[in-house]
Amino acid sequence: MMSYDFSVVLRFSDALTLGLVMTLKLTVLSILIGSVIGFAVALARTSSNGVLRFICATYVEFFRGTPVLVQLFWIFFCLPLILGVELSNLVSGVIALSLYMGAVSSETFRAALRTVGPEQHDAAIALGLPSHVEVTYVVLPQALLRAAPPLLSNSVSLFKESALVSAVGLADLMFVGQNISNTTGRPVEVLTIVALIYFVIAFPITRVVTVFERRMLRKLKA
Amino acid sequence: MNYTFDLGAVTRNFDVLLQGLSLTLQLTIAANIVGLILGFLLALMLVSRFALVRGPATAFVEFFRCTPALIQIVWFFYCVPMLFNVFIGSITMAVLALGLNLAAFNAEAYRAAIQAVPREHEDAGIALGLSPLQRVLYIILPSAIRASVPVLLTNGIGILQQSALVSIVAVPDLMYEAKTLATETYRPIETFTIVALMYFAISLPVSQLVGWLERRRPA
Amino acid sequence: MGNTMTVAPAQGDGSALLCVKGLRMGYGPVEVLKGMDIEMKPGERVVLIGPSGSGKSTLLRVMMGLEQIQHGQITFGGDPYITADKGKTKIDIGVRKKIGMVFQHYTLFPHLSVLGNLILAPCKVAGESRSSASERARALLERLGLSHRVDAYPAQLSGGQKQRVAIARALMLDPKLMLFDEVTSALDPELVAEVEQVILQLAAQNMPMMIVTHDMWFAKNIASRVIFAAEGRIIEDGPPEQVLGNPREERTREFLERVFHIKT
Repeated sequence: MMSYDFSVVLRFSDALTLGLVMTLKLTVLSILIGSVIGFAVALARTSSNGVLRFICATYVEFFRGTPVLVQLFWIFFCLPLILGVELSNLVSGVIALSLYMGAVSSETFRAALRTVGPEQHDAAIALGLPSHVEVTYVVLPQALLRAAPPLLSNSVSLFKESALVSAVGLADLMFVGQNISNTTGRPVEVLTIVALIYFVIAFPITRVVTVFERRMLRKLKA
Repeated sequence: MNYTFDLGAVTRNFDVLLQGLSLTLQLTIAANIVGLILGFLLALMLVSRFALVRGPATAFVEFFRCTPALIQIVWFFYCVPMLFNVFIGSITMAVLALGLNLAAFNAEAYRAAIQAVPREHEDAGIALGLSPLQRVLYIILPSAIRASVPVLLTNGIGILQQSALVSIVAVPDLMYEAKTLATETYRPIETFTIVALMYFAISLPVSQLVGWLERRRPA
Repeated sequence: MGNTMTVAPAQGDGSALLCVKGLRMGYGPVEVLKGMDIEMKPGERVVLIGPSGSGKSTLLRVMMGLEQIQHGQITFGGDPYITADKGKTKIDIGVRKKIGMVFQHYTLFPHLSVLGNLILAPCKVAGESRSSASERARALLERLGLSHRVDAYPAQLSGGQKQRVAIARALMLDPKLMLFDEVTSALDPELVAEVEQVILQLAAQNMPMMIVTHDMWFAKNIASRVIFAAEGRIIEDGPPEQVLGNPREERTREFLERVFHIKT
């Protein structure tokens, strides 16, 4: 039976911090870009243009129906060949994760848009609101409020999925952790600590989501 | 772009991809069996009245839900043999890692469905003179399990996607064979596109089924 | 239940305020309104009664421009504003804006406070300034006994309060005709009176209104005219003493007996 020495990890705290910063940078950028894509796609799927709806539905289904790892490999190895330009690892990572986030969050936005009931539309007409006022001041705020908690959940998922970029050599937390684990030969200590770092970031957010969601539903019940 | 497509490299080696696909499907099915059963047991623990029962189940579920699946798999492959001084075959290990991950997500699905059974149903059971066990068996569980089916299916097909992660620890699944083939033939676009389509072809019918189930029975 | 509120008698100078002509509407093969004609004079308070499926609520929704019609025309103050034209329904929004409506299920905007609900349309549609709209809203809420709930959100209100806010929201647009669609049907019995009092107050100020209700006490006290409809047609139309007290039509009599146990 071997003994475990978690202080080993402390010696690499700088490297781990750099990895974490990379993970967070990647995650935040992809969440922002992905949410914008997701919202646009959700709106496009309510369009009367059948071709546009089909393209958006295919995009969503495809990115939800294939492994993120395959998407990542495709963007890393195939996109530069197709575009004929070199993409930095970070750019490729952000493109891949944003497209994934876009597909996932578009479903969140779509569900939220649907919860705004037809009686709200009746009320808007009875008050003589033109459709742009109805969308901006009645539909959008309610949809965004309802989308906020699941969107935060989507963001936690993306934070976790971002670990995949280590497989294509981007120096994120996972990548740094695996390197340290390999060079020190102490996977138990290093990998456990890395897992805990992910956990202490993701877990509180999921708690916030739960509380937030309960409050939101109570408020929007009416 | 100056890249000429050549699907030949992929079609000539298609049997290798099919072998990978076969292992991917086996992993997915095995992990789902573990996930459905273990997830159910965990859910029963999660709704227990006793904190001592709830605590460990909650910790298990939260830990698996709040860390990347990749680190769970890598951790299992490197740490389990060291910690417990056992040797487990890589495929068994992959099933275990994917199955435990799925169990955590399924436990949440079952739990949410159990707690969503309206109180009135339980009250009606009491009014009809059913014992607590009878109420659970005949009223709560049947309706909860039916309600959780769409989420369980979504989670189950999610494991097909997550199973690609085992390629990183050299389990020869579809993704692993794809990487090898892409490297050997220098044909990444053809290989990864076809492999993506293979995953998609399996996922799509399931996601359509889930959509149909949800439309049929509005929440 | 005692009624202390006195209601002004209906006034009219003979010219129609609202005129419904040859109105037919349906969903696919199901015809809901099978040809309706109504002429409403200024100051009239019309109560619509009838069994479910008679088309009372649908008529109100049509008048508000919420439904597509197949045939007919509705004019308000002499201006046609809803017209069936080759399968399409043309709506003159400028005219429709003079009509306000309150629904059975409140339909307050849950993400806005009471004040926010009241000033949304005046600010965004009529271009009124925020401060002026807020001032009017506060004064209106004061009159309806809701000044302590200005900053509350709909989910924090009782059903009766929600419905009073919904009425206030419609009044903010200074309507020339109010439509009330079963506004007390979703309320607990003890909350019905507070909402009906508000509508009686409006009646005392000569607000023309059309009301769908199942509350016979309320109908008797507020109506200057009662219309009994069944299966998409108007069966009887007259003063409340006649339609509710001594109906000429057998179907009206039968309905009143069956539903309200009123022996006539």
